[in-house]
Amino acid sequence: MFEELLAIREAALGELQRIESEEGLNELSTSVLGRGGKLTAILRTMGKLSAEERAEMGKRANAVKQELTELFEQRRAKLSELAEQRKIEREAIDVTLPGVRRAVPTGALNPLTLVYREIRDALIGLGFTTFEGPEVEYDEYNFTLLNLPPNHPARDMQDTFYVNDRVLLRTHTSPCEARALKTLDLPFRLVIPGRCFRVDEPDASHSPVFMQMEGLVVDRNVSLADLKGTIDSFVKAVFGENVESRLRPSYFPFTEPSAEVDISCTICGGKGCSSCKGTGWMEIMGCGITNPHEIENCGHSSEEWRAFAWGVGVDRVACLKYGISDIRLIYEGDGRFLSQFK
Amino acid sequence: MKLPLKWLKEYVDFNVTPAEFAERMLLRGFEVAEIIPEMDGIDGVYVCEITAIEPHPNADKLRVCTVDAGGEESLQIVTNATNVKVGDQVPVALDNATLTGGLVIHPTKMRGVASAGMFCGNEEIGITDVEYPGCENGGVMVFAERHPNGQRIQEALDLDDCIFDIELTPNRPDCQSIIGICREAAAALGQTFREPEIKEVKGYGDCRDVASVTVENPYLCPRYTARVVTDLNIEPSPLWMQRKLRQVGLRPINNIVDITNLVLVEYGHPMHAFDLACVADNHIVVRNAKEGEIVYTLDGKERVMSADMLLIADPTKGVGVAGVMGGLNSEITENTKATLFESAVFRPENIRSTARRLHHVTDSAARFIKGVEPVNAALALDRAIELVEELHAGRVMGGMIDVCAADLKEKQVAASVSHINEILNTDLTAERMAELLSSINIPTEPVGDALRIRVPHFRTDIEDGIETDWDIAEEVGRLYGYTNIAPTLMRGDTFRGRIGLAFKDEDVIKDAMAALGCLELYNYNFISPKELEDLMIEEDDERRRTVRLMNPFGEDQSLMRTELAGGLLRAACLNLNRKTGFGRFFEVGNVHFDNGDLPEERKLLGIIHTGAEESFFTLKGTLEALFEKLGIERVRFEKGGSPYLHPTQKAIMTVGGEKLGEIGAVHPKVQRAFGLSAPAYIAELDFAALRRSMVRLRKYKPLPKYPAVQRDIALIVDDGMEAQQVIDVIEAAKARVLVENVRVFDVYRPKLPGDKGIPMGKKSMAFTFQLRADDHTLTDDEIGQAVNAILKSLKFRLNAELRA
Repeated sequence: MFEELLAIREAALGELQRIESEEGLNELSTSVLGRGGKLTAILRTMGKLSAEERAEMGKRANAVKQELTELFEQRRAKLSELAEQRKIEREAIDVTLPGVRRAVPTGALNPLTLVYREIRDALIGLGFTTFEGPEVEYDEYNFTLLNLPPNHPARDMQDTFYVNDRVLLRTHTSPCEARALKTLDLPFRLVIPGRCFRVDEPDASHSPVFMQMEGLVVDRNVSLADLKGTIDSFVKAVFGENVESRLRPSYFPFTEPSAEVDISCTICGGKGCSSCKGTGWMEIMGCGITNPHEIENCGHSSEEWRAFAWGVGVDRVACLKYGISDIRLIYEGDGRFLSQFK
Repeated sequence: MKLPLKWLKEYVDFNVTPAEFAERMLLRGFEVAEIIPEMDGIDGVYVCEITAIEPHPNADKLRVCTVDAGGEESLQIVTNATNVKVGDQVPVALDNATLTGGLVIHPTKMRGVASAGMFCGNEEIGITDVEYPGCENGGVMVFAERHPNGQRIQEALDLDDCIFDIELTPNRPDCQSIIGICREAAAALGQTFREPEIKEVKGYGDCRDVASVTVENPYLCPRYTARVVTDLNIEPSPLWMQRKLRQVGLRPINNIVDITNLVLVEYGHPMHAFDLACVADNHIVVRNAKEGEIVYTLDGKERVMSADMLLIADPTKGVGVAGVMGGLNSEITENTKATLFESAVFRPENIRSTARRLHHVTDSAARFIKGVEPVNAALALDRAIELVEELHAGRVMGGMIDVCAADLKEKQVAASVSHINEILNTDLTAERMAELLSSINIPTEPVGDALRIRVPHFRTDIEDGIETDWDIAEEVGRLYGYTNIAPTLMRGDTFRGRIGLAFKDEDVIKDAMAALGCLELYNYNFISPKELEDLMIEEDDERRRTVRLMNPFGEDQSLMRTELAGGLLRAACLNLNRKTGFGRFFEVGNVHFDNGDLPEERKLLGIIHTGAEESFFTLKGTLEALFEKLGIERVRFEKGGSPYLHPTQKAIMTVGGEKLGEIGAVHPKVQRAFGLSAPAYIAELDFAALRRSMVRLRKYKPLPKYPAVQRDIALIVDDGMEAQQVIDVIEAAKARVLVENVRVFDVYRPKLPGDKGIPMGKKSMAFTFQLRADDHTLTDDEIGQAVNAILKSLKFRLNAELRA
């Protein structure tokens, strides 16, 4: 009986080598391991054997069954890999043939791009120039030079993704202020867009990746009134002539005086509704007169130069402008959302 | 910061509505996030008097009561309460009343008898014995005093106050206290601030004779003050104190602990009370912990200290973690006989690091981290002692232990009036500025163009240095009102504003992509290490040189992306699964490669097409249109590309030898790994390379003076021949005339042997091109010779036969 078992094994192995298709493999598998298969048949005849022999035979038969099952599976994987390779070969194309232009509906830019351009273009008219800096930044530029030395309590306001002790994902576009102050000739007016990162679990109003636009004006005689005027002009450019803006006192380590900017509610027009919690105003960004320490840290005299700056969340403006209730939609990539902003 | 209105009224005459107050505070830099009414959510509950009680006809456990609700007619209420009798006044929830948990009450029938409402127990109206002693009686609440029938319960219980939840900015730690915020509130209301005077308690003896303090590290502990109280009488604090603590969300414990908590709320200074019997030699030592030293804190937890943490100890053991939490071994218990009150100043950054490393930011620690100051430390201590005396909680000893390395001298600064006016663009007089500053207790004297300012101890944010003028400008501007400053546009030299070239190019490219039917994605920059596996990126590929975050949300968002393909595939997948019908997307985004220092940042353009109508060639069509728009000519497509692309359907795009990017079908394995239900086609292009190749200004080329002729040829070539090979040979042939616009327009493979006379293993390709000369019209001879030269060259170099 052992010999029969060995013969079945030998025969199966021999056939296995010749099989070139999954169908063939299935047939072989059924004819050996299936309910009516050779191996099953031999196991059925074991009743005739003595108890000892039966145990030994059972062990061997199972070993053969296991071995064959594994080999069949390996072969199956190999065959499907081969089949896929053959399919890939069959699908070969001449990549130098000309492309095909399909007639498709026009696409659309992301609302972030649209809002960024609107803000930028409004500021270009006021004499601003674009500037940019790296998304992965030194701690020194993101915090220290901006009057946020290590252990400053306000660092808690910004939960930061770190790469190492010295390098982080910028939490705002403000490190570009330090880069500009250190590299450009004064005076200047800059608008600085870019992606920023904070450790915020995504929800309807937070995203760990977001887009900010920094404004920075350095000159000899700028004032809080100029900051108000500048912000009001781009608020009107983005939201419309009827939208009012106001500044109210706040605190940021990089500016003093600091302010939050509110705009009259874009939903109710300032009468008070649920979107503005009945106040008629919506907060859109922070701004202020640049802290003299920052000017000095970047190698300039704070007596000679005065600056003002703001950082506006492009995401936030986009949500307000277009009435988007969940910031995650902007990043999710659903075409039914993205195709609306043409 | 929670400010109960009633508390505010103790110090300031309140003469406006809560909403008006909130608005005024907002415009001074204190945002009231919420106005929370007391008995929040309870409405429609009134005082009613029970005038008659009858048994219920159908239920033994119910009774039918007649009540006087203050109206013309009496009401009928069915109740199961057993603790009420005729003549009692009880709270009744009438039609549409709302109770705890949002429960709404309507008139109903109970076992066939109409009931106009419901008698309320204390839980239903959310109050406890603290607000109204005796109300927790297990049944219906019964008023102890007489009230007018029909009075709102809020009025009857004197719980119609509200609490302002005020958001504070980190520069104003002084306002983390009732005293501090009321000072600002008074100015906002235009009222005087009645600053409470702390009554000095002389006490008996001198505590310095029985207890002592040594500060070994005066840098980390600039001031340590303490006083001793003996013969303690530990008991619950009085109800008024419990009520105040509850209003701001603190749990009453006992009189001594409650005193320290109340002082924390009032003065914003954290204190601690030690059981003096548990302090060896009555001697407190403030020192750095030994590495590995263990302290058990009040919450019963073991705290393993390190050498840079500050410990409160006695000569034998630690009794508390400085600024974070007291020790279990010296806790105030009901058996405590004498206590030492600690009121100290610790370095914020040290407490911050200790609290974070012990994973325990207590209320005290939070206050120390925000910053406390040494003068207030002593004030808080005096206030605590005053309360001990007032509550008869023990016998106060005289004297104060004071180990002080801090400078307690009043800071004097000078600010320039004209500079402040320049910063704000205002025209305020020195006197006006002085008046504004004095309204928040900053004594200021105008002297010519200068303001001489005596900085009060609590205004630690006002610097003496280059920042002074800005500090004072901020205060003046804030108090004057930012809304009173008229907006101006910048004056002086005009600037030539411009959009940088890189930004302009990005606009052009994005606009072109949108015009080609693509929707713009902004994918997150974080990817999973698995994404690179799924994309079959090899180990030695530069895309494995990833930047790893130290504190990602999770392993699956732990790397900065080095490719856009993954994000494009996920977006395509989402749209297929949701059957949105959109299959063309693009993204312009940065990828980062680890570089040791700042990573290398590279901008890429990624495009994906997916869906049954798309193919390698539809994506190629999109790219050709983009190149056309950008003026990039003669882009070569050569087999090859990343492993995530289909091995026989991918190409590297180059122009003038520079690589622009890659295009291809997505590898079937990758398609499966991303769970994509349809084939997808991706291109990734290097943004900088695109910008280098693009032509921003296309100069006019003179129109040809002499006509061109068009010729078509059909060739039999090897099946593996690429159209580009043929085009290259046609263009390079020595035709002696100009050969232009060479294009392939037909490819045919024989389906059976002999099909259309094409042998198997060969195929037919048809090309068209134009022949022209700049200086004359071509003759037939010239044309014939040119075509012959081309055919000869094709035969010689590619073994291509002209098809018969």
